[in-house]
Amino acid sequence: MILLEIITKSIWAGIAAMGFAVLFNVPRRVIFSIGMLGAVGGLIKFTVMNFDVGIVFASFLGATAVGIISIQMAHMRNSPPLVFSIPSVIPMVPGLFAYKMMLGLIALTSIENTDDYIQSLIHTVNNGAKAMFILISLGTGVAIPMLLSRKESIKKSKFNKKKEVAV
Amino acid sequence: MMKLIILYFCIRFEKISETLSMKTLNENAQSVGTILLEIGALLMSSGASTNRTRITMERIARGLGYGLELLITQRALMLTITEKDQQHFFSRLKRISPHGANFRIVSGISHLSWNVMEQDWTIEQISEEVQRLKALPHYPRLVVLGMVGLAGAGFCRIFGGGYIEMSVAFVATVCGLFVRQEATKVKFNPYLCIFFAAFAASLIAGTAEYLKIGTEPDKALATSVLFLVPGIPLINSVTDLMDGNIQNGMVRAMNGLMIAFSIAMGLLSVKMILNF
Repeated sequence: MILLEIITKSIWAGIAAMGFAVLFNVPRRVIFSIGMLGAVGGLIKFTVMNFDVGIVFASFLGATAVGIISIQMAHMRNSPPLVFSIPSVIPMVPGLFAYKMMLGLIALTSIENTDDYIQSLIHTVNNGAKAMFILISLGTGVAIPMLLSRKESIKKSKFNKKKEVAV
Repeated sequence: MMKLIILYFCIRFEKISETLSMKTLNENAQSVGTILLEIGALLMSSGASTNRTRITMERIARGLGYGLELLITQRALMLTITEKDQQHFFSRLKRISPHGANFRIVSGISHLSWNVMEQDWTIEQISEEVQRLKALPHYPRLVVLGMVGLAGAGFCRIFGGGYIEMSVAFVATVCGLFVRQEATKVKFNPYLCIFFAAFAASLIAGTAEYLKIGTEPDKALATSVLFLVPGIPLINSVTDLMDGNIQNGMVRAMNGLMIAFSIAMGLLSVKMILNF
């Protein structure tokens, strides 16, 4: 049952990634790859979260996986890696936390009771910190594989050497 | 006497030929510089990171046989190209007009830079290819609306909404994106466009919450504005910061924050109107 839930969520993450791919006007040949990549990222994130790992680290792992696969795909589909990685990690953006933080901040302007204020402050800070750290981990997660494989360009990186020998 | 006259003409001729060759060199450098600036401006405005823009421009310049020094900021590009002999140089500044993400151009220019390197493309071929890339069509409007609507529904599903909330999020997202496209068409301030879009989307989702449609209507409200999230500015900001382009990274992060603030203002206005 949990497995089914995870898989459904991942598929919807893939669909959301495809929606953003269309919004960012990617070349037509890579749309389905982006959908698959978004689903894989979501699958990893939700699976890791299922083992009681925090959402920040789970997002980081998902984004790193997306970053690594996007480098591989960049060569297969002849497009720069950021074309794959950016739409694919957008479904992991912490929209709900940012929304709750914003509501909390608005509520903080009008609460008078001290106990209520402290309760609201705790929730707001918690949501805000989660939103911020998830965003940072998404950015670094996508960037790290690029930094590790950096040799002027994807075309000359390690992933391709095998392929060139084979051809 | 005769010798002197011949010598005079020889010197004269040499000078003329020198000025001629200098002129062609300068014209070449000028057209190369202009096309490089155009490529860089296109890349920056369609959502490439600073490092990617720099690498691509350097690759093209090297392929054409020029040295290149660059200053890249968010809204302007400055470049100096030098001939191999280091005698002549060409320098120019270009403003970058923001267009919104277009990965078709990023992908196409990446191809182009490799063609310049490996197949020795000429300047004419490059400028033809740039014109072709600029003329490439976007997806049909209905497709964009439908797909982004589905993305909104997907977000709602990810955050745990049911089918009713998902359909609310779908309708709200489609309307919000429509409002944003219309507002962009009449050239409102970009942040104002985002505010209008967030307002329209959350008004629809908020009305659904007000009428108590579905079991968890607040999830539809929270996810109805997610199609506006500044994903490209925020992720590119982190990439730029890690590459050491601190200034550009900060500018991008600030831009992302302002977009997020506009979204929040739209949501807040709806909350105040519906008062719950």
